[in-house]
Amino acid sequence: MNWIPDIFRRRKVYNDLAEEMRLHIEEHAMHLMGQGMSRKEAEQTARRAFGNRTLLEERSREVWQWPTLESIWADVRYAVRQFRKSPGFTFTVLVSLALGLGANTTIFTFVNALLFLPPPVKQPSRLVEVMPRDAKASGIESFLPLSYPGYSNLRDQNHTLSGFAAFDGDPGPVSWRNSGQGTLLHGQLVSGNFFSVAGIEPFLGRAFAPDEDRAGAARPVIVVSYSFWKQQLGADRSIIGHALTLNGTSYTIVGVAPSSFTGVLIGTNPDFWAPLAMAPVFTQDAQRLTNESGFWLFGLGRLKPEASKAQAQADLTVLTRGLHRPDGDDVRDAAVYPVDLVPGPYRGYVAAFTGLLMAVVALVLVIACANAANLLLARAITRRRELAVRSSLGATRFRIVRQMLTESVLLAVAGGAAGILLTRWSIPLLLSLKPANIPLTIEAPLDWRVFSFALVLSLCVGILFGIVPAWRTPRFELMSALKDEAQLAGPRRSWLRDSIVSLQIAVCLVLLIGAGLCVRSLFNARSIDPGFSTHNVVLAQLDPESLGYSKQQQHIFYQQLLDRVRALPGIDSVSLTSSLPLGTQRLSQPATIDGFTPPPGQPGVFVQTAYVAPGFFSTMGVPILDGHDLSSIAPHPGLSQVVVNEAMAKRFWPGKNPVGQHFKIMDTAMETVGVVKTGKYRSLNEDPQPFMYRPFDYTSQAYLVAHSPSDAQAALDEISRAVRELDPNVVPTDMESIKQYMALPLFAAHTTGVLLAAFGAVALLLATIGLSGVVSYSVSQRTNEIGVRMALGADRLDVVRLILKQGMRLTLIGILCGLVLSFAATRVLSGLLYGIKPGDPVTFAAVSMFLAAVALVSCYLPARRAASVDPMKSLRAE
Amino acid sequence: MTETASRDLFPGALEMMILESLRRQPAHGYALVQHIQQRSKNLLQVEEGSLYPALQRLLKARLVKAEWGVSSTNRRVRTYQITASGLRHLEQQISSFERMFEGIALVLDPTKSPAS
Repeated sequence: MNWIPDIFRRRKVYNDLAEEMRLHIEEHAMHLMGQGMSRKEAEQTARRAFGNRTLLEERSREVWQWPTLESIWADVRYAVRQFRKSPGFTFTVLVSLALGLGANTTIFTFVNALLFLPPPVKQPSRLVEVMPRDAKASGIESFLPLSYPGYSNLRDQNHTLSGFAAFDGDPGPVSWRNSGQGTLLHGQLVSGNFFSVAGIEPFLGRAFAPDEDRAGAARPVIVVSYSFWKQQLGADRSIIGHALTLNGTSYTIVGVAPSSFTGVLIGTNPDFWAPLAMAPVFTQDAQRLTNESGFWLFGLGRLKPEASKAQAQADLTVLTRGLHRPDGDDVRDAAVYPVDLVPGPYRGYVAAFTGLLMAVVALVLVIACANAANLLLARAITRRRELAVRSSLGATRFRIVRQMLTESVLLAVAGGAAGILLTRWSIPLLLSLKPANIPLTIEAPLDWRVFSFALVLSLCVGILFGIVPAWRTPRFELMSALKDEAQLAGPRRSWLRDSIVSLQIAVCLVLLIGAGLCVRSLFNARSIDPGFSTHNVVLAQLDPESLGYSKQQQHIFYQQLLDRVRALPGIDSVSLTSSLPLGTQRLSQPATIDGFTPPPGQPGVFVQTAYVAPGFFSTMGVPILDGHDLSSIAPHPGLSQVVVNEAMAKRFWPGKNPVGQHFKIMDTAMETVGVVKTGKYRSLNEDPQPFMYRPFDYTSQAYLVAHSPSDAQAALDEISRAVRELDPNVVPTDMESIKQYMALPLFAAHTTGVLLAAFGAVALLLATIGLSGVVSYSVSQRTNEIGVRMALGADRLDVVRLILKQGMRLTLIGILCGLVLSFAATRVLSGLLYGIKPGDPVTFAAVSMFLAAVALVSCYLPARRAASVDPMKSLRAE
Repeated sequence: MTETASRDLFPGALEMMILESLRRQPAHGYALVQHIQQRSKNLLQVEEGSLYPALQRLLKARLVKAEWGVSSTNRRVRTYQITASGLRHLEQQISSFERMFEGIALVLDPTKSPAS
């Protein structure tokens, strides 16, 4: 390796070289003088004959260097020196890029967490998710989890998987009796081979044995998660073999999962895992493992080394089709997906939403880049002299372009680094947008993917916004630049910089209009009447059935609880319901009504239904329009009472008195006793839907609703205490005020509103910087012209008008382009907007005027400075 | 990277001429230039300075070695000397150059071709 001593010898080599060249020229000059030339003439001739000494010296030095690396390093050092010389420029570009790149990195971190992060299993590429799929249906509706018989059939019959595990896709809450008190835990039921298929070695103890999930061989054993072990069990290494009482049954801890393993689905971080065979005990559903139409399992298979995904898909499809006989109505294929934190069928939806956000931040980045490019362009012109000197010293055009690109890439990478710092701060902020009642824990780590994304994006951005100014710079007349003729050439308006500013304004307008639409949609959504009171109501979910209560016990529990809560101070009324409007649980029942023929093959017209206890309507603030509330005793024996909403009354009994109507649900005869106002049941922007309320039978899980005009938290604490006094093992879940509850249906509107408003604000800030930067620059270039104008009699107002006209012309062009773009771009928002059309003219007009006003202000400041030019000074400066 | 000075020479030609000059006798930069210009009867207008990058390349490849000394005219000079590997390299270069020259000559004047 010759280069190591070369590095140390280099200084001497360079000195030798310089000395040698000096002596060469000197010798030549002496020689010429010997022939009778004057000293001056001889020296000049010798120098000319020698050629470009600086360039040649550099070429000679390069022989000893790692040419590109070292000259790039020199470029970098030069660039840093340049930045130090103009801190204002550097700061503005850095802030612009940090905002633009930070916004992109933030959103990408979420995309990464949702779509790219592999689940924490061994060799995720060989793991597949298996879901039956109904080829006739479309979208998410066509996917169905597996039933237990379906799962065991696939597990035993397939030829392509070396192991096929299953897990409960929707882990329910479990009450843990911990020193006399109930604590709520989340457990996931998994097949016995789950840990071995996923390739997870327990941190302590053992995983399940394969036979521990066989029906009949059920053993109450659990593996606890690392974080549960650490936080709730005091990281006790001797915990193996101890038991926890969960839902009244004692479970032995056999293992602790490693800290890296938090489950294979995003958001569901279980506290413990239990074998599938315990499902009947867990869910109080004795048929859980034999029911062929109870679909609740996600399949997780490890491909055999020789098998491909396509082969597994074909293999499992044959089996799934056999399972659902071809003559039946429900022929299903098997869908095989790579295992991901967000399961295959849902990825499209996640990708669409995050894709929208990526598009928004990409626009923010475009504005940021435009800022940077514009500032670089302006700077390139003020640097004409410097570049001319460099090129006269022998720098090639390539070398100058490379120097300029080095500067822009350096700025971009620094901006990207600052953007990552911003991301660390913005991610917790964004996570806090998620309503607390969505039981999802999303981890969005800044991993190598995020860093690579930020780096690659920064490099691309640096090259992108650097290439235009860099390519333009060497195109100038060397001599005129050296003679500083820029002043004489007059104000040179650059169409390129002007169009960049107009582009910024246009893109900014698109973002602001999007933000305006989403914010107005959020206000609309907030003001939509959901048909029930969104104030002074508190909620709690109860599930005494999961503790093994008999029907009789549940009945007594609910009645006692209602009595106790009703007696609490600060609570006016209380009731129970099987499901909440706008909630995740949905129930529809087939109604047979005279004059209405149900769709073929169906027992009746399906109507959404909830079971409610008396007092539900008054507690929830649902107005009773006609008739009366459900009563605890049926007024007519043999007839079940039902309260319908106005939409149902209008649809089935138009023009008739809906109270006292008779119809059937399956075989039960119903009589309508009341009509209530139509509300919103599935989503806030639905059309009026028929809905009916049937009497609650005080069994299974239910929501307690209580009207409390005073402090919600105090009321919830009281209710919690009342439940505990009745049975400490019953843990009320999802305890919240109705206001908190409404965060869920408003989630999409709220998130898009807040995010777009935030990004719109960033875009506006950047575009303002860009516009005022260009206007200020042109003011500084036109100082002479302004001086002349003022000397010839223009007053301050004329000057202000002159500068404003220039800025506003660019703004108006930008706004016009932006309006056209917005009409096209806001279409993608149509699915997210409440009560507002994507092309809403009021929003378009208001946002355009707002942007024009902001632009006017940002042009006014440099214009005022222009007007304060002293004509004498500016003319003398020439 | 443009070699402004040796634009009309093919790559390596200047190095070859330097080595050949040094094979005859060690010399310093200025003397080398004089020598090359005289021998080429001023047909080759080599920019004097362009000698130095070439000399550095040869130094780096250890085909020549350099030493500070005093010339016959009592000037401080850095004298270059060809090394053993420089001699070998020169021979190779010359023979490959001759082959190339022969080839070019044949293409330019096919009547001299031995095959015809």
